Amino acid sequence: MILPTTVVGSYSVPEWLERAKTDYHQQRISGAYLREIYDVAIKAAIKDQERAGIDIVSDGELRRDNDIDYFLERLPGVEIPHRAKSHYYDYYEAVVHRPIPCDDELPAMGLVEDFRFTRRQTDRAIKFSFTGPFSLSKRVRNEAYSSDADLMLAFAKILNREAKLLAQAGATFLQIDEPFLAGYPEQVELAVKAINAVVEGVDVEWAAHICYGNRHARPAWEGHYDFLFPAILEAHVDQLVLEFARKGYDDLALFERYHPPFKLGLGVIDVKNPDVETAELVASRIEKALAILPPDRIYVNPDCGLRHMPTQVAIEKLQAMSAGASLVRDKIFGRAAVHA
Amino acid sequence: MLVELRPTEKLRDHNNSVVGAVLGSILHAVEDDTLDLSRLRIVCDWIQYRKNFRDPIEIRPILDPSGRGSVEIAVDLRRVAGKDADLEGEITRALARRQDARRLYLESWCPTTRSLIWSFNALYWKHLALWETVSGRSYEQALPGGQSDARNTAGARETILELFSIWDQLAARRALPDQLHVLELGVGNGNQARVWLDEFVRLDREQGRDYYRRLHYLMGDYSPHLLEMARNNVQKHADHVSGLVLDAMAPSKTLGFLKYKAFFVYISNVYDNLPTDEIARINGHNYQVETRAHLRLEDAERIAASVRTNLEDLPDLIMKLLRLGPELVAETYRDKFEDVLGAVRFWSDLWDALGLEERYVPLQPLDTYEIAPGANGEIMRSILEANGDLRMHVSNGAVASFIDTLPLLHPHGFIQCHDLFVTDVEQYATGFRGPGKYDGSVVNWGNGPLLEAIGGRRGFIVDFRKFAHRAGSNIVTMTARVRE
Repeated sequence: MILPTTVVGSYSVPEWLERAKTDYHQQRISGAYLREIYDVAIKAAIKDQERAGIDIVSDGELRRDNDIDYFLERLPGVEIPHRAKSHYYDYYEAVVHRPIPCDDELPAMGLVEDFRFTRRQTDRAIKFSFTGPFSLSKRVRNEAYSSDADLMLAFAKILNREAKLLAQAGATFLQIDEPFLAGYPEQVELAVKAINAVVEGVDVEWAAHICYGNRHARPAWEGHYDFLFPAILEAHVDQLVLEFARKGYDDLALFERYHPPFKLGLGVIDVKNPDVETAELVASRIEKALAILPPDRIYVNPDCGLRHMPTQVAIEKLQAMSAGASLVRDKIFGRAAVHA
Repeated sequence: MLVELRPTEKLRDHNNSVVGAVLGSILHAVEDDTLDLSRLRIVCDWIQYRKNFRDPIEIRPILDPSGRGSVEIAVDLRRVAGKDADLEGEITRALARRQDARRLYLESWCPTTRSLIWSFNALYWKHLALWETVSGRSYEQALPGGQSDARNTAGARETILELFSIWDQLAARRALPDQLHVLELGVGNGNQARVWLDEFVRLDREQGRDYYRRLHYLMGDYSPHLLEMARNNVQKHADHVSGLVLDAMAPSKTLGFLKYKAFFVYISNVYDNLPTDEIARINGHNYQVETRAHLRLEDAERIAASVRTNLEDLPDLIMKLLRLGPELVAETYRDKFEDVLGAVRFWSDLWDALGLEERYVPLQPLDTYEIAPGANGEIMRSILEANGDLRMHVSNGAVASFIDTLPLLHPHGFIQCHDLFVTDVEQYATGFRGPGKYDGSVVNWGNGPLLEAIGGRRGFIVDFRKFAHRAGSNIVTMTARVRE
């Protein structure tokens, strides 16, 4: 299929789920109770994506409080002194006191169980995302290593082991999210080195998602993607998943200028604005990318996760995205003329 | 019986025998009444606003969810102090008002945000020039201290230097936009804008930054009159300034183009003047304070006579004034007003006499109560449930403004607000926080802990500090910036 539609990862978190998560952190409901809620919510999220016509779905990352904590509490060697939160979405304060051990005897992070659960719920292709070592290291106080780069590479080794387990379990499409990278444009080389350590020896479709942040539905940084180049050209990934819909498509010119070998996960849905795009608008955005890249190098996705959008808005945005991609496919294959 | 004595600090400085006298008089006065003393609440305030909406003694029904109603007797200690001789009579008369109010009601019971006091408030800002003509002083002179704390060069310098630092860092990363937007909501007469811009130019030249060239200062105000004054005040910066009439409670409606672009939003003496409800926690139940505006019968008769009308027609004339404004109402009712200023005097008399009667009605559940678009009452739960009996402002207008301003901020931008704020929930139990009357407008202290919680849920750190640049000021500096 050309122009496959997919998501970046997170899906709408309804207010009742937010409250359940916060209740768990304040010990008002049990972990077992919350896990059952997650299972039901994830099934619904997958069904919503399927009905919206998404080709490659995700579990909506609904088990995760935010983009960081789910991984930090599973990474060996990371200590989180206080796990109670007044609101689930807050970040933990985390610290690494000693160098992180990395051997096969250590328990896995448990991402495989999450993948398997998703696999059982759908026949569609699955994208499985996790936050990359660069961003994870930015939320940890480093008391163990002489440089943050060493901490980052230690995380990368753990994530590499987890990625291998995911591939063994049948994952074919993995995505590394680096939501903090745009805030440290001078460290792209280091981030690429860490990404390469994660993907090493894992034969799947690899994507790297880099945006300007989506914390509380706000950009955390502003600027242009030129900070990624040329360092990003060294990344051993198959595609870059980038934010465009909110900021405009000027940065597509970077693909003309640098001719990167990657496919492009093209952001066509603004996840910070509840106004639903039309299919025609989505189609016009895809066509902007088609002026630069061939259709078999473009994936169609929102700018970032949909976690902050109300559920109905998220559904309608995904429907518009699917319909927009269909319009372009029809144009490419001349179906519009046939229908006429 | 429960007695809540709020102005504890004030009573330390004064002869507190007034409290004993009040309690003694109340007990004596209720001897012959049918009140259930076991369910009686007595609340004593010291209302610092000489013009306010209350009689010295008010009786407030508490509509209990169980159907067993009770009553709160609210006392303004400042006004009853020295009235010992007649205190009991005052209380007896207040109790008797339950049967015969001797008040002309101007509206039905409603949450305070919907009371017509806010129509008076809006009228004031819309027709400020006329009000100032009749009162003989500018609105700024009516502020405590005679001027706004916004006109403070040291405060301006502090924020400008912070902006320079942010912009330097962004410039180093090639992430500085071409236009640098600064927004002031509630621009007043433009004095603050002039001080700020003058200081900006001085520092920009002194430090050789060349940011003034890229600066765009947006002034927003509800009052076209003030906006015009402000424009004239900053005339020398005209190439860098735009003025917009806007609703402070919904700035994004007018300023949608500014989303994620404002580096600095300055708000001074606005939040305290926006509509608010009050919520109370009494004996483990949540209540909404409902109000209804009224005139004491003797005031109503006097005011009606002054405009050659009768009592029955007075409410209709008041509604016309609020809807049309003094100019049109004077033109429409030439038999009642000699000229426009006559209509303004009528307005002023009404405002002086306007009172608010209160009652408590059950409020359940919290998530069905809308504080402002995008925020329901659930966010108040932790505040209400952690502090025993409590009556607090919801600051609906301030919350609406705050929530609608946050999306305008650049990721590195911040809001600074100079205003009256409660910064700790405890302060509701130790002082009166409104409503009062400031000149022709309403004043209420903003609910700081609530704004802090709402900002927190949106990823902002909201902090409060005493205004640092004038000793003795009640003004607090609220700052909101992205947390992570």
